[in-house]
Amino acid sequence: MALAEDTPSKYVTLVSGDGLEFVVLREATLVSPTIKGMLRGPFTEAKTGRCTFPEISGEVLEKIVEYFHYWYRNRDKEDVPDMEIPVEMCLELLQAADYFNLMPSRQEGREAA
Amino acid sequence: MAEEPTLPRLPSPLASASRGKRTFGGGVSSPELSTSSDPAFFSSDDDPALDNYQGQGRRKRRYVGAWFDQHPASSDSGVDDETRATHVSRRNKARPRPKKREFRRQLDSGVWMGTDGALTDTDDGVDLEPVPARLPLVPRQAPAPGPLAPARPRLSVAEEAVQNTVLRCLDNGNELVDLSGLQLEKISDGLIEPISNICPIPNVAKDVAFEQRDPQIKIFLSNNRLRTLPLALLNIEHLTVLSLRANQLTKLPPGIAKLRNLRTLNIAQNALRFLPAELLGLLQKGSKLTEMQFQPNPFWVPGPAPPQNIGGEEYLKRTFGPQPDVGFEASWAGLTTKLHSRTPVQFTDDTCELRSSFVLPVQTRSFRAAIELEPFQELATPTGFKTHASAETNRAVRPRGAKSLLELTLRACAASGQAEEIASWLREESWPAHLATFVEKANEFHQSGGGRCSVCGRDMVVPMTSWIEFRQIGRTTVTKNGDGGEVCRFMGLVGESEGPVPFMRSLLPKALIEHPANKISTQHSGYDGNPTTAAYHPYPMDI
Repeated sequence: MALAEDTPSKYVTLVSGDGLEFVVLREATLVSPTIKGMLRGPFTEAKTGRCTFPEISGEVLEKIVEYFHYWYRNRDKEDVPDMEIPVEMCLELLQAADYFNLMPSRQEGREAA
Repeated sequence: MAEEPTLPRLPSPLASASRGKRTFGGGVSSPELSTSSDPAFFSSDDDPALDNYQGQGRRKRRYVGAWFDQHPASSDSGVDDETRATHVSRRNKARPRPKKREFRRQLDSGVWMGTDGALTDTDDGVDLEPVPARLPLVPRQAPAPGPLAPARPRLSVAEEAVQNTVLRCLDNGNELVDLSGLQLEKISDGLIEPISNICPIPNVAKDVAFEQRDPQIKIFLSNNRLRTLPLALLNIEHLTVLSLRANQLTKLPPGIAKLRNLRTLNIAQNALRFLPAELLGLLQKGSKLTEMQFQPNPFWVPGPAPPQNIGGEEYLKRTFGPQPDVGFEASWAGLTTKLHSRTPVQFTDDTCELRSSFVLPVQTRSFRAAIELEPFQELATPTGFKTHASAETNRAVRPRGAKSLLELTLRACAASGQAEEIASWLREESWPAHLATFVEKANEFHQSGGGRCSVCGRDMVVPMTSWIEFRQIGRTTVTKNGDGGEVCRFMGLVGESEGPVPFMRSLLPKALIEHPANKISTQHSGYDGNPTTAAYHPYPMDI
């Protein structure tokens, strides 16, 4: 882990409540101030590059990860097409958006890119 | 004594399915027939009734079997003796006479056209559900419990009248659709949509060149009880006259700016408190709108003008960027507006709470309050919003990057049509309370037709920043003089002396950009210039 501390890996691992793991580009996750805080502070998550979200199911976390990449790919583009959101996941995604601080004005802008 | 005659029992579908024999005139096709793969046979000797035909000049078929596997129908007694004799002699009785034709599948017969899957699938055991008789002669029972198809919404009397009028106009090519005075409370979009298909009947006369022209649709909806404008109206491209006089509209949808061909708009005698800023797109030089009646309406009125209320041009330029010039011909006369004043900005934060000291009055308030005004140079921002401010250049704003996940999800909620349900779920405990407010607002905004950010032009899900501009509506005539210059003359409307009209600007939520280069130059005004400026950018500008 000493190595990870010196040069943080390009990827972080997000773990859902039911044990699914997603390996995501670190830069893509930084759109969320919540994860940014976890990775930048003196926390275990920052050392290991592994964030666990016990309240979030794998299905929802998968969509969130999809959003991270969607945001990362489009961060400098204009007229970005909307991402598909299935209606049945709206409730959970709203809550997750609140949890990850993916709100219109709090979400990190281009600074993270 | 014989039994009383009774109706023969109906063959139960099961029984008919289990019977292998084909029945004629049954009407009900048994499932075996439809799935059978027997080679077609062309003999008619199955039917004993056909025996009656012998000796009447017609001969029975002499061969049975499929076209590729025919053999003489020798078992039949009705076949001529001589034919039988020749056959018998030729074949020398080598062929045993088949007692009964066996049914076998000829895979390459060319007759059986099953799909490939059916070849391997249920071959011998055809265990399909029996097809029910087409008309079950069972007494109709009470409607079965369970989900029934939703009943088609019945049209009210007024809506039926609308439908009839629209259809009549459609048939006659009549461009004037008069729906006034029908006591309509709402019109479903489906009734309005056909109007856009109205096509004028062209004038066909001798020596007149045939000319296809665009329809000029006129819709009169006056003297009804409409509370919201049917959104389908906004999709009628060639709408030229729209009268909404004497309704109960409280809001005009921002999408009204889509009606580029509108010449006359009448929104008098409604319950409008403000107009959407998008309407300004129709109230600029070069647009076609020349007639607009908007009074009386309970519009908000501006408070006393603040001192130093100058720099409007600069404010517009910095806030909204350069506006594209609309081309028009040599001279133009139409309606334009003149900026009068503006209110402070109302900010909403991520929890849907108001974060600014200035709050727009509630719409339902009965009296007409005078709204506080702010000089153009100043901007009252809540402290939390200044942290994002960092920008160096003053280029035109271009929206970049993806929408936030919250916006995407809210859009999906609103578009699904289940927003109210979702909001009521969110109202329950254990969910963050502000999410329900978001969903409701997004739904309301979606219902009113949506809109775009006044500054960056992105489509909004929930407008979170808004203020009011008061503008005077007047008639402008532009004439080009000889050396290419323009002479503009602005005249307030006669009789519309009630003062400036409020236009609502709504914006995407994002930080206020504030930097020295954005300062309004104050040389011409004498304003002593504190470095605060009004330049709202929903997204950070290029760094």
